[in-house]
Amino acid sequence: MTAKTSLKEVERKLFQTSVQDGILDIQIGCVLLIFAVAPLLGVYLGDFWSSFVFLPFWIMILLGGRSLRKNYIQPRIGHIEYGSYRVRRLKNLNLALLIFNLAALGGGLVVFFRFQDFQGWLPVLMLSILCLVGFSLVGYLVDSPRFFLYGILVALAPLVGEFLYRNYRFTHHGFPVTFGAISGGLILAGSVMLIRLFRKYPVPDAEDLEW
Amino acid sequence: MVDQQQSPLPSPLTGLDQIIHAPARLNILTLLYVVASLDYVFLKNQTGLSWGNLATHLGKLEEAGYIEIDKGYQGKKPHSKIKLTAQGRAAFKEYKTTLQQFLDDLPE
Repeated sequence: MTAKTSLKEVERKLFQTSVQDGILDIQIGCVLLIFAVAPLLGVYLGDFWSSFVFLPFWIMILLGGRSLRKNYIQPRIGHIEYGSYRVRRLKNLNLALLIFNLAALGGGLVVFFRFQDFQGWLPVLMLSILCLVGFSLVGYLVDSPRFFLYGILVALAPLVGEFLYRNYRFTHHGFPVTFGAISGGLILAGSVMLIRLFRKYPVPDAEDLEW
Repeated sequence: MVDQQQSPLPSPLTGLDQIIHAPARLNILTLLYVVASLDYVFLKNQTGLSWGNLATHLGKLEEAGYIEIDKGYQGKKPHSKIKLTAQGRAAFKEYKTTLQQFLDDLPE
C-alpha cells in the first residue's frame, strides 16, 4: 500500500499536530455547558444572571487554556510558526466566524422581537442547523474532520432534547440532559487528548536544547 | 589516461543536490518548506531523530546556507527558531524539479 504524500498534506499534518492538544475541545465543551446548566440556574438566578455567570467562567477557561499551552504543552511539542497559506486560512476562519455569529445574533434578535409566538420544533431545528453550519465551517477551515462529527452531535442535541421533552416530559426541553452529555463528551475527549500528549511528549532536558 | 572500462556509469541522481538528498535532511527541509519557522523541539518530534543527529544535520544545512538558526532564550530555557533561507528554498525547489523530471522520464 502506498500513501500519497504531498507538501500540502505535510503542512496539514504539521498544523494538526500543533492544535491537537485537546484544549479547543475542552473549551468548546465548556461553552456548550451554558445550554445544560443555565436553564437549571435560571430557576434561582433568573434568565439574565443565569447566563451572565458563565462569562467569568469562559474567561477563566480561555486564559487557563492559553497558560496551559504556553507553560506545559509548548515545551513538550515545540513551537511552530505557520506559513502564509495557513495564516490566510486562519484569517478566513476568523472572518467567517464573525459573519456567522453576527448573522446568528441578528436572526435571534429578529425572532425574539418580531415573532414572540415562534415555538415548537422550528426554533429547535434552526438552532440545530446553526450548530451544524458553525461546526462544519470550523472543521473545513481548520482541516479537522472531528469538528464535523462534533457538529452532527451538537446539532442532534436540541432535537433529541425536544423529543425527550415532548414524549417523556424531560425538564427544560431536555437541554440539561442532551447538552450536558455532549459537553461532558467533548471535555472528556479533550482531556484524553491532553493526557495522551503529556505521555507521548516528555519535557526535554535543558542540556538537550543547548547545542 | 582515464580507464573507460573501470569508471562507473554516471548516475542520473548525481545531478541532485547531495546536501538535500540525505533522507534526514530532506525530511527537515520538507518540514521547513511548508511553514514560516519551527523550533528545535518541534523538529525533533516530527523527524524522530536523536538530539545529536538533528544537531549534526542542522549544522550541515546551516553551513550550506540553506537554513537560518536563531538561537535565543524563552524564559530561562534555550529556544532556537529554525527557518529556511531564500537560498534554501530555491535549492529545495530545484531539487524537487530535478527529481520529478528524473522520475517522470523513467520508463513504465
